[in-house]
Amino acid sequence: MLELLAYDFMQRSLLAAALVGAVCSVIGVFVVLRGLAFAGAGTAHAAFAGVTLAYLLGLPPLSLAIVFGLATVWITGWVEEKGRMKLDVSIGILYTATMALAILFLGLMKSYNPEVYGYLFGSVLSVTTEELMTIGGLSVVVLGTILLLSKELYFIAFDQEMAAASGVPARQIFYLLLTLVALTVVISLKTVGAILVFAMILIPASTAYQLTHSLTQMTLYSLMIGTFCAVSGVLLSYAFDLPSGPSIVLLATSLFFLAVCCSPKRLHRIQPQ
Amino acid sequence: MTHPIIRFDHATFGFPGVIALEDISLTIPESEFVGVIGPNGSGKTTLCRAVLGLMAPLRGTLRVLDCACEELRCHHRALIGYLPQKGMLDRNFPVTVLEAVMMGRYGALGLFRRPSRKDWDIAREALAHVGMDHHRDSALGALSGGQQQRVFIARALAQQPRILLLDEPTTGLDLTAQHSVVELIQQLHRELKLTILMITHDINMIRSRVDRLVLLKTKLFAAGPPQEVLKPEILSQVYGKELVITDKDFVIVEDYHHH
Repeated sequence: MLELLAYDFMQRSLLAAALVGAVCSVIGVFVVLRGLAFAGAGTAHAAFAGVTLAYLLGLPPLSLAIVFGLATVWITGWVEEKGRMKLDVSIGILYTATMALAILFLGLMKSYNPEVYGYLFGSVLSVTTEELMTIGGLSVVVLGTILLLSKELYFIAFDQEMAAASGVPARQIFYLLLTLVALTVVISLKTVGAILVFAMILIPASTAYQLTHSLTQMTLYSLMIGTFCAVSGVLLSYAFDLPSGPSIVLLATSLFFLAVCCSPKRLHRIQPQ
Repeated sequence: MTHPIIRFDHATFGFPGVIALEDISLTIPESEFVGVIGPNGSGKTTLCRAVLGLMAPLRGTLRVLDCACEELRCHHRALIGYLPQKGMLDRNFPVTVLEAVMMGRYGALGLFRRPSRKDWDIAREALAHVGMDHHRDSALGALSGGQQQRVFIARALAQQPRILLLDEPTTGLDLTAQHSVVELIQQLHRELKLTILMITHDINMIRSRVDRLVLLKTKLFAAGPPQEVLKPEILSQVYGKELVITDKDFVIVEDYHHH
């Protein structure tokens, strides 16, 4: 297995997977605790619509992925804030509308473009040096912001109204969280693909949620699980000639079910004292 | 007279097309314990949100901590400890008691700053004030409803507030826990000299503990010492039912069908 590391493409793939695993799993903690899971899934599909339009217009694919992802996630946040419509309904509409746009843009392409489908299903083994640098740069931005504002992010995930009443700029932090979710989706598109990216945000954090009663521990566990699954998934996909995205996500899913079975919260159901 | 810490001057609050509180004039001096009562929809929670600076008056003025509502920035809000109405807490939310109390420090700390040892000491002290320091490493979801309310009061205290705003702190608790929480609030008022605004439906529980009662029904219906406000002719106008004050000074609703 060690000889694999001698290949440049494998070094790039493992580094990209590790970065994506780390970023997804850390932002996932706030997504799970704040109840934004479905919003993130909608963002992933919107970002893919951005990729397809970018290919159609001859623009860099991630540029429009960011625009589409941000627009979707901000609209989602605004709808939740105003309470004008049930959140699941508004996301469901955006989710399907952006997917319809993606299919429309694919249909308008003159020929089959395998690179576009790489963003749909994930192709970490074909990550280029430029893409790796983009992933690295955005990962530093997302993880750095979370590190700097982790206490405010935890507070709004726990109780946003209370955070606002305590003097925390809760509304701004909420929109910042949504922005970080969109950036994370964009970072991860090439590695795990639009269909599976949200699993990488959701599953490591949900697995860690089963294991602890402490916010700090949940973040650390999620980070370890996400990074481990991403790197191991790439190695497994290479060793057994499997697609990388599903390998990563199915490994994470297996760990999730293991955690559910072994969860101290379930095995020793806590009774009110 | 002690310096006023909250001052409503002909203030009206609401949303487009809906007036929730109209023409309120009320001055609350520092260290006073005020009970706010009134039927559902009388504007009690609006009063709370206004004091927190989350709603600006449509007409008139409101000054809290010598700031107009629109000037009430984050650092001022951090001086107002707030206990919201008890909502549904996710029992599995991964937060320990001490972590939950420490959140009370975040507004005062400001962005980017990490809690120092002093902040952790303040959080532990707040927990000790409410008699929950031995539970500090417990999961919050593992505590009973009354214990959780104590933790949330500790979180408000960890802000080192000048005003404590309590929105129906006993709702959803059993009778023993209700008494225990109200006694704790009275004890905090005595020991820490905090200005306390407590919104409640339980008139009997607080009547002997507060300095003043404020009775709302969209307007300020009455304000003064409990014995002046809790008169049958005033209460029956506000609650719209026959209210009786018994010889033990308890307020009860008399079922008019049995007359």
